Amino acid sequence: MTKTCTVAEMALREIARRRSVLVMLLLLPLTFYLSRRGDHLGQSIRFLCLGLGWALSTAALFAGSAARAIEPRLRLCGYRGHHLVLGRLAALWTVGATLSLPYFLLIRFDQHDVRYGAVALIMAITVVVAAPFGLALSAALPRELEGTLVLLTVIGLQMMMDPAGTSSRILPFWFSREIGTYAVDHTDSGYLERGLIHGATFAVVLTALVVANSSIRLRQRSHLQFSSPR
Amino acid sequence: MNPQVWLAALAGELSRHGIGPDLAGHVVAEAAAHLRDSGEAPLSAFGPPAAYAAAVADSVGGPDLRPPRRVPGAVRLNVRGVTKRYRRRPVLTGVDLTVRAGEIAAVVGANGCGKSTFLRICAGLASPDRGKVYVNGTVGYCPQDSGTCGFLTPEEHFVLIGAGRGMPRTAALRTGRANAAALDWSPVSATQARHLSGGTRQKLNLIMARMGEPDVLLLDEPYQGFDRGTYLDFWHEVWRWRDAGKAIVVVTHLLNQLDRVDIVLDLTSTKERVA
Repeated sequence: MTKTCTVAEMALREIARRRSVLVMLLLLPLTFYLSRRGDHLGQSIRFLCLGLGWALSTAALFAGSAARAIEPRLRLCGYRGHHLVLGRLAALWTVGATLSLPYFLLIRFDQHDVRYGAVALIMAITVVVAAPFGLALSAALPRELEGTLVLLTVIGLQMMMDPAGTSSRILPFWFSREIGTYAVDHTDSGYLERGLIHGATFAVVLTALVVANSSIRLRQRSHLQFSSPR
Repeated sequence: MNPQVWLAALAGELSRHGIGPDLAGHVVAEAAAHLRDSGEAPLSAFGPPAAYAAAVADSVGGPDLRPPRRVPGAVRLNVRGVTKRYRRRPVLTGVDLTVRAGEIAAVVGANGCGKSTFLRICAGLASPDRGKVYVNGTVGYCPQDSGTCGFLTPEEHFVLIGAGRGMPRTAALRTGRANAAALDWSPVSATQARHLSGGTRQKLNLIMARMGEPDVLLLDEPYQGFDRGTYLDFWHEVWRWRDAGKAIVVVTHLLNQLDRVDIVLDLTSTKERVA
């Protein structure tokens, strides 16, 4: 537990020192929100949540890429793959929750006739999914530019594809449209349930993928055999 | 430069030139007495401390920098038949190396002959095509570069690595600071690693490798960017670690008379010989 907490603490310190990145992370969802606030309040909530997911995924992508150089060394000095992944995820989830709070308050006071609990739920699941999604991208695409372009494609598709279509369900933030509809349009709980199942599935699968990837990448190689000092 | 600062610098330089504490103390006392009696400025009387220390070392017949050979201990690192190819080009072919506790092995060779690859294989960070590496104990690894987090301070690095080794925060900080002092470095707590000079970042890299007192130290050209004084300090530290029973492997392409080691593995011809 100490090892995971230390990784989380150091990851948080690293993120906190990238001040310009933090400002951009904070402003990105706001621009999404303001882009549709004038003509479609409900859509502005959905866009805000997508912006939040995009911002946190990007932060996770860059955090994952930056950590690649030091992780083998940390593994060698006693950390296991799951210490590193869970510590980093804990830091990113903390950042995501901190970013979400002012936006929840914004919606709480700027929008009326909305299910606020459902909005908080979208934000929570977005944070939980976005962090492992960004880390998974950084694991699959070690170069940051490629990862950023894939992220851009995913978010672009998320905005353009018809959420009612089956194929849109393979996108990681599809749940936000479903729960968003439940929150804004006061539809039946079927939307909420589908969104919850989708979000939970993606959160579990992505987190498992990232842990598995880290365990394989940082495994003890078969040619190396340790014994206790005599 | 005032006399006290000059005398302190002279003491350090004499130590770096392998002058023993008795003789060094005598030389410093003589120089202090001369400065006091003559009232001269030290730079005009003796010149720079490094040059004066070098002159003293020459006048006493040159230092024997080789620490006394001790009987090596148990085998700590045993590399057998390591072979590695990159895109069909053989980089390492059947490399063997045995390093015991209390021994230093230097891995030398031309650029691109696989020195860093060999060390990464020893550390378990890369897989060979064939061969085995047996490690008796724990491993510390100092990469050639990029082994630090740019946005963390040196002390945060000590805590991070120390936690991996199971060290409490205060013990990790204490150990890190002590190892930094041995390399003539006092980390400033607010400075992030990305703002350190190349040589200072390498000192941090080296200190991180030493955290937790690993039994086997794998050092990949750890002195890049060091000034001459720190370079000498580094080798004195390496000898001290050897005397403490560590098995040390140093990748280098600069093996001069100062770098006294027990084993030389020349990867250009992949031949191991005893120094």
